[in-house]
Amino acid sequence: MSERKNDGFINYELQEFKLFEPLFKWARKKSLWIVAFCTGCGGIEMPPLATARYDFERFGIMPNPAPRMGDLFLITGYVTPKTLKRIIITYEMMQDPKYVMIHGSCPINGGVYWDSYNVVKQLDKYLPVDVAIAGCMPRAEAVMDGIMEIMRKIEDGTADGWKRYRENYEYYRKNQDELFGEGWREKDARRWLAWI
Amino acid sequence: MDMNEKPKVEEKVEEQKPQEVPEVEAPKLPDTKEGKLVAELLEKAPYAEGNVRRERRVEFKVPADRIKEFLELASEKFEMLIQISVVDWLKEGEFELVYQLWSVSESVHAFVRTRIPRENAKMPTVMDIWPVAETYEREAHEFFGIVFEGNPRLGPFILEPREHEKHPLRKDFNMIGYVKTIYGEDFDRYDESKTNYVI
Ligand code: SF4
Repeated sequence: MSERKNDGFINYELQEFKLFEPLFKWARKKSLWIVAFCTGCGGIEMPPLATARYDFERFGIMPNPAPRMGDLFLITGYVTPKTLKRIIITYEMMQDPKYVMIHGSCPINGGVYWDSYNVVKQLDKYLPVDVAIAGCMPRAEAVMDGIMEIMRKIEDGTADGWKRYRENYEYYRKNQDELFGEGWREKDARRWLAWI
Repeated sequence: MDMNEKPKVEEKVEEQKPQEVPEVEAPKLPDTKEGKLVAELLEKAPYAEGNVRRERRVEFKVPADRIKEFLELASEKFEMLIQISVVDWLKEGEFELVYQLWSVSESVHAFVRTRIPRENAKMPTVMDIWPVAETYEREAHEFFGIVFEGNPRLGPFILEPREHEKHPLRKDFNMIGYVKTIYGEDFDRYDESKTNYVI
């Protein structure tokens, strides 16, 4: 604990909060706010999920337009290098703890676009992924199942992608730089995010 | 049956009779609205060839240097440009451009085909006839590298621009090699060791 005090982040695992940790975990699990990045065809499964048929709000899940307030980052569909830049910046804007769920075969291994010049093959190389739902595209039931899975993982503490991203930042950063070229944050991201 | 037995491909090949190629006659224009449309246009533009494919579908072949002239004539009847598609004929060293026009008044779809050499492919823009051509020309420029003279928006590739990514739909673009260099080798089903045999 003590050696991580100066890492620039607020360390919420302080000793005095350990007692309330099960309560925090339960609360996090029951109030997932989704930042949906619907890049591809997969976005079409979100409306049935959100409306009366499957109604994910009964689980405390809510679509949320601001990354600063989101917990669950949902990436639904193929990811091109151009969108991957936005995804990474959005992910880094979200606060800890944050969870990533990917949706469909495309972000897992390229899916039907596996030999396309413009689809990122493994999202896992650039971002830590907690739950991946296979299928092209997964039905809304499968997405519900994935959400159940991530709730279970939050409860037993194995949804630790945000920690892995911090600990293995060099690895992820290296892969990102390999794809986009060095200095892409300064060159591109500053165009949309003036404060970077 | 033995599972390893090969299917008898040769016999199947022998069974096939060589198909007789029907003799291509000079197309006679039928006495329909399509036929009249084509005849009317060809009268004004004798350098072009035209025929009727089927109901509501007509086709023209125009030499590349007179395409602008022809499209200007055609735009009186065909008010809408639906698409400009490109075919890459690698062996012949040519690009085939297909201007797809739609006649709103007559409900007829027209293909206007023209061929240009692959090297330094250049065409005049048709933005002044149909402003929507800007997008289609830009697309043809990005994917095939055809320069449309007079179109101001022929920029670099709209997705991630790299030098060697410029014309990915050309037939001689090495897609697999490109993908392997950009995204790493550890993903695909051509993996020899089969450790990452995923799809
Ligand atoms: S996995 Fe299938 S449905 Fe999902 S984005 Fe890819 S192609 Fe579309």
